[in-house]
Amino acid sequence: MATVLSARPNTNSTGTTNSTTSRTLSTQHHTLSSNSDSASAHSHAPYDHVPVQLPSHRHVSNSHINGNGIPSPMSRRRQRPIKSQYPANSTEKHVEYILVASFDIDRGSVMEHQYPGPVGGDEHMLAELMLPDQTHLRSQDWTIFFLHKDAAGEEDNEMKQRRRRRRRRRKKQGEDGQMKAGAEDREDVDGEDGQGEEDEIDGDNDNFDDSSDEETFDGPPLVYVLNLVNTKQDHTVKRGAVVKAMAVCTRHSFLHIYKPLLLLALEQYFANPVIETLAGLYNAVNAMDLSLMPRLNSYERFILQSSDAKDLFLEKFEAIIAQRMAGSNATPSNPALTAPSPTMNPSQRARYGLPRDTHELESVVPYAGIPIPVKVPTALLPETVGDFSLVKLITTFSTPHSTSPQPFTPTHPHLTTSGGLTHPIIVLLNALLTQKRIIFLGHNLPSSDVAEAVLGACALASGGVLRGFTRHAFPYTDLTKIDDLLKVPGFIAGVTNPAFAHKTEWWDLLCDLGTGRMRISNRIEAVSPIPEGVRFFQQPGHLPSASSSTAGSAAGTAVSGISALAAAGASLSAGLGGSGLMGTVISGDATGDVAFMAGVLRAIEERHGEGAVRRKFRRWVVKFTRLAAAFEEWVYGASMLVIAPTPSTTHPPPSPFIAEHTSPAPSTSSPKPTPNNASSPLSLPPEVLTHGYHLHDRLAKLRLTSEGSGAVYLAICGVVKGEREVEELLAVVGGGVWGADGGVQGGALQGAAGGGGVGGQGQGLFYLGFGLFHPKVEVREAVAGLLGRVREHEAGRHFWVGVGRFVQGAWERVERAREARVRDAEEEAEEAARG
Amino acid sequence: MGGSISKMMSKIFGSKEMRLLMLGLDAAGKTTILYKLKLDTDVTTIPTVGFNVETVTYKNTKFNVWDVGGQDKIRPLWRHYFSGTQGLIFVVDSNDRDRMDEARKELERIIQDREMKDALLLVFANKQDVRGSLSPKEVSDELMLDRTAKGHTWKVEPSCATTGEGIFEGLAWLSSNVKLPPK
Repeated sequence: MATVLSARPNTNSTGTTNSTTSRTLSTQHHTLSSNSDSASAHSHAPYDHVPVQLPSHRHVSNSHINGNGIPSPMSRRRQRPIKSQYPANSTEKHVEYILVASFDIDRGSVMEHQYPGPVGGDEHMLAELMLPDQTHLRSQDWTIFFLHKDAAGEEDNEMKQRRRRRRRRRKKQGEDGQMKAGAEDREDVDGEDGQGEEDEIDGDNDNFDDSSDEETFDGPPLVYVLNLVNTKQDHTVKRGAVVKAMAVCTRHSFLHIYKPLLLLALEQYFANPVIETLAGLYNAVNAMDLSLMPRLNSYERFILQSSDAKDLFLEKFEAIIAQRMAGSNATPSNPALTAPSPTMNPSQRARYGLPRDTHELESVVPYAGIPIPVKVPTALLPETVGDFSLVKLITTFSTPHSTSPQPFTPTHPHLTTSGGLTHPIIVLLNALLTQKRIIFLGHNLPSSDVAEAVLGACALASGGVLRGFTRHAFPYTDLTKIDDLLKVPGFIAGVTNPAFAHKTEWWDLLCDLGTGRMRISNRIEAVSPIPEGVRFFQQPGHLPSASSSTAGSAAGTAVSGISALAAAGASLSAGLGGSGLMGTVISGDATGDVAFMAGVLRAIEERHGEGAVRRKFRRWVVKFTRLAAAFEEWVYGASMLVIAPTPSTTHPPPSPFIAEHTSPAPSTSSPKPTPNNASSPLSLPPEVLTHGYHLHDRLAKLRLTSEGSGAVYLAICGVVKGEREVEELLAVVGGGVWGADGGVQGGALQGAAGGGGVGGQGQGLFYLGFGLFHPKVEVREAVAGLLGRVREHEAGRHFWVGVGRFVQGAWERVERAREARVRDAEEEAEEAARG
Repeated sequence: MGGSISKMMSKIFGSKEMRLLMLGLDAAGKTTILYKLKLDTDVTTIPTVGFNVETVTYKNTKFNVWDVGGQDKIRPLWRHYFSGTQGLIFVVDSNDRDRMDEARKELERIIQDREMKDALLLVFANKQDVRGSLSPKEVSDELMLDRTAKGHTWKVEPSCATTGEGIFEGLAWLSSNVKLPPK
């Protein structure tokens, strides 16, 4: 399925399409076969997927009760040097090319200069993209477009790097395998050795951390082009105007930081239209120093994104500055330098150049004698390019829908999953997920508006989880590229030319930014005969008994995989809903999308901000992915969306999803725990955190017996041992559980308990904190141990602060009780020894 | 409901809609004509990057006029605008004798396209205010309209975009000759 991504013709491309495509293809197959663990796509799902879940080979110890807190691998790890996201000695340039194009009154769009050399490909096409339609009507406009470029020179290098990475991963896997097969508690037993090996692995490769995994998924990153075009009326020239455009080409997705620089540079170029002007900008931006930006792994990025705390991971910034001050070859021997001190006062922070907000690194680019401040985001989720606003995108399409709803005609089973009046944003999401051809039309709007809408749509459906959208995105394109565009299966394109609206054969979904309406094409491809998955659901006896009435009727009308999925979703959400916890279930809302959109709109109304809205959609996507995976596992027997644990004889149910469905499902009225919940912790599959979301949801949503919840608590505590697992856990709880509104009642309770997660987002440690009140002492102590580990963690401490006094007090009580118990036990043992 | 009433009205009063495509070599005066039609003022235009589109109502007819940039390199794009076009307005700079042949070739390419087979052809012999310009007759001879536009209903209208002379007459001709597509 990676083939869909790489086999695309690159419309905006300047690269050598065919040859590179086939090359990428073969590499990917190789990757897939050699490394099935990170294989990312599945033949039934349109897009690549990032494993948010754990790698499957996860070692689990039998000693679940480990309240003592483990000899902390965390403190050990902290002494390792923090790596920079953008090392100073890197050969990668921030900006690879600077381009200037102009509109020639005789020849149309022409490229004037390219620095340091030609980008390659069709120069004329590039120039056309740089001079968007109707640019003569406005004095200034921004556009964004992507180049699918494999620089010929870099190619070998890239391949080598990838191969190296693969080798390393295999090595790592081997190790994990050993770990699984071999000694228990390896981390505790032979900590030193393990550490040495890990260092060796990390030491010889800067790129090892999974923060660079973007590249390994689908070839080299796209080249993002940010383009500024100015039209200046000038009566001294023939035909009265000069139209010029300047663009920066970068592989960083935060291309919006170059806006002020481009404004200045284009002004300079109007005054001084020579290539040296380009060179000046090129040198200035590439001199930008981002080496003090610490590298975060993917969980840390998730945590940072889901939190509004301004000093999260400040320790990493401190450490990297300390390393810098200690010289380039700082050894971790000096504890004073590496030990983070979060207590540093603000003035000290400022002196060391610590960020005021760890979500971004401030830097300065001196250009044309002006120091221009830039803010570079620290945690970038995949598929997030530029500075769009989801709030703006959602408001554009939901305002007309809520004031005067118009049913979609025609409807389409993939798109209008809640009938003709499905919310347009849901239709858009469905269209993105089912790889429809989507056009954002902004007639008489600046092309920057359509580009932002396209980028927003990519982030909406990706949620930082699914991938491949930006590779199908054409933030701005025009009629000249239509023939190439139509070769792309499932594109997301931004245009300003209303001619696209008349050509219903060119698109499946047209989103008109001017009117705020979406249209489904009357020529949209009809859905093929009922897929086997749906037939599966329509057979009686396959539906969970509890919600068969709703799901059954939904499946009865369903003609597509999506609808079947929705039906499955209804049953799953009914199961997760428990009794009464989902207070806002809207009748007839089989997919839960009506309630979801209501929650989103409320968040927008109450000004929760862009971050909150993005998090909501991430939850939606995570939920969708889980449902899709469950669907695939159930219907097809396997899914590559969730990295399924290898079925082993000791753990018959390969996935808790299946366990949930095949067992008598908990009905919404009687909160009867499934047998699985009540059984011993050992019957849970070992890869518990693979389904961390699932477990946490069960805590949050189901009314479990004390035994049932105890099993879940112990399972979580048993897995979350090291720093890495704590991060994963925080990524799960930071994202929060899903439900009508992330758990309405939970939110209320949480408020009563004194604030939830960091910045009030997500559930934080709220539900885990309940474990401190569990009737069983071993559960209480295990949870206390877990929370102790979280408390020590550099990100966890922010979450710890969020749980409130009540839980903190409970934690201290449990810890004291445990110490007392241990002391008593020791005394008894001594007495026994003496007597 | 509202839609059906207006449809009835349009039947009674003969109001109709017409999609027009305005093409021609660069600097022939297309955009100036468009904004003369739309705003009835003489606007200073700059080269069109891409296209302009405006809706003009004249004598019960709603004209949807597309004006597409005319530079040599972007002429291949014109074809994307052909389908659904009921009338072609081809604008010629009557003083640009050197490029009459170029204009004829372009016109030929457009009007003989299959998608344009039912379109009316209105040629504006523009810039009549400049002394020494070609007369409408000369323009039609230069363009060899008898042969080029064979099978089409056509007319050459002398015009001056800056004063508006001939522009509305041309529209009136289009309006009265358009065959409403059978509904």
